[in-house]
Amino acid sequence: MTTQSNGVIDVADVSKWYGSVVAVNEVSFQVNPGITALLGPNGAGKTTMLHLIAGLAKCSDGQITTLGEPVRNNPSLYQRVGFMPEHESVYGFYTGRQLVEFSAKLYGLSPLGEAVDRAIQIVGMEDAQNRTMDGYSRGMRQRMRLAAAIVHDPQVMILDEPLNGTDPRQRIEFQEVMERLASQGRTILISSHILEEVETMAGRILLMVSGKLAASGDFRAIRAKLDEQAYQVRIVVDEPRRMASAIVALDDVDSVSFDDDGSIVVLSRKVATIQTTLPRMAQENGIRLTRMEPIDESLESLFEYIVER
Amino acid sequence: MLTLLRLSMRQLGGKRRVALILLLSILPIALAVVVSIAEGEDESFDSDFINILLDGLMVGGILPIVTMAVATAAFGNELEDQTLSYIVLKPIPRWHIALPKLLASIIIAGPLIIASGAIAAWIGMGADPRISAAVGLALFVGVTTYSSIFSWAGLMTTRALAFAIVYVFLWEGLISSFINGVDYLSVRGYTLAIMHGIDKDGLGELSERVIEFPAAVGGAVAVSVVFFYLTVRRLRNMDVP
Repeated sequence: MTTQSNGVIDVADVSKWYGSVVAVNEVSFQVNPGITALLGPNGAGKTTMLHLIAGLAKCSDGQITTLGEPVRNNPSLYQRVGFMPEHESVYGFYTGRQLVEFSAKLYGLSPLGEAVDRAIQIVGMEDAQNRTMDGYSRGMRQRMRLAAAIVHDPQVMILDEPLNGTDPRQRIEFQEVMERLASQGRTILISSHILEEVETMAGRILLMVSGKLAASGDFRAIRAKLDEQAYQVRIVVDEPRRMASAIVALDDVDSVSFDDDGSIVVLSRKVATIQTTLPRMAQENGIRLTRMEPIDESLESLFEYIVER
Repeated sequence: MLTLLRLSMRQLGGKRRVALILLLSILPIALAVVVSIAEGEDESFDSDFINILLDGLMVGGILPIVTMAVATAAFGNELEDQTLSYIVLKPIPRWHIALPKLLASIIIAGPLIIASGAIAAWIGMGADPRISAAVGLALFVGVTTYSSIFSWAGLMTTRALAFAIVYVFLWEGLISSFINGVDYLSVRGYTLAIMHGIDKDGLGELSERVIEFPAAVGGAVAVSVVFFYLTVRRLRNMDVP
């Protein structure tokens, strides 16, 4: 059965509930070629959403199509889709290469060698490909799982938290790989609960909070919204009163208050500026700054801010 | 399908599981050796051997225990480890997933049980090849039928082993022993009837309490096919973790 679709992935009024728990609530969006990030705090419903899109779970209501076809029980569609689940379980007795070969065989690829080599090369695991999956670090396992998910060179990639366990260098490499694949016309949907992980590569983001789509669209526009929020930064100095007086004089500061433990809490809409200004200010005034930390930089608070607006 | 068969056999053929099967398979042979040595001129030996060792221990105990230990894990392990998504999102029909799982269960559980039963019968029943063949073939049918049921159970619930134990103890053990007609819906009943049907003379002791041979064959095939179908249907309809 082929249904009319507007996006490569078309999610229309989709809900998913388990008993009385609503995991996804009337969500609609489309995903087109390029990189789209599905963002949201833990428990927002991202994984459920991706499972629904991949066809692993059945929608309680609404419908999802990929490349114009229904996603449930549609083996022929899976030839054109690659899915990497969030959980890291793998067949630990396989070597990395065997896992990718296993995947390639199930996709019916022949001959295997070239496709497997290419996938392993993409994730940069040529040197470690013959070690068992159980012997890999978390990041290496992630990369091999990614290789297994893209070995058949799919048109659509659905990757659930693919950057878990990767180090900064691997993230940059991963970003380059994704950008290259996206530039070749592929549609890539990546989930993450960490904004910074995906902000440099995703052109479009979908924000999920509490099972609902809180916002969607161009990354910069949403980022600008996020930047309007005031952030709290806690600083600990040896002379809090003198430091607080100096901080109040700054233009970028909205308010200054003291916590019970004597630390100073600074509220500002320009947290990046604050983070560079305050240490310099302390040094110039001969004040010893022992700690400086953002209080509410979690994605949850950012998302809640957007939802409230 | 071979790829999944090899994977499933590797998953199910763990050392501890195979050791358990081996241990349980040696038991009937060891008992057959012991009772054969102690037999003497006891005229009721054949009857006791069939009732206690073949029916009670082999068909009523070891056969379901071994197949449940293997077949419930065929999908159970995949669900527990959350690896089923690696398989179900591939461009293969669902029965291509269910069949290798079933075959792997049969291949892992079957040979040792079948060999154990056939050798024990050979030792205890006067080295009659027909009796050994009857026992071996019937056990093969039993392994296949139980494997089909327990593979489905492994996909239906994370407590498949508990379900299998209750099912074997209550239905196959208790209820089928007391209520006439239940043997028509009992794997134990099918296994004994097929055993008897292949060698009516050698296993005549069973003639009073087994169902008709064609009914047993038809029942075993029907149960295997129905549960295989239910497994495929479950794979289509379930939410894969």
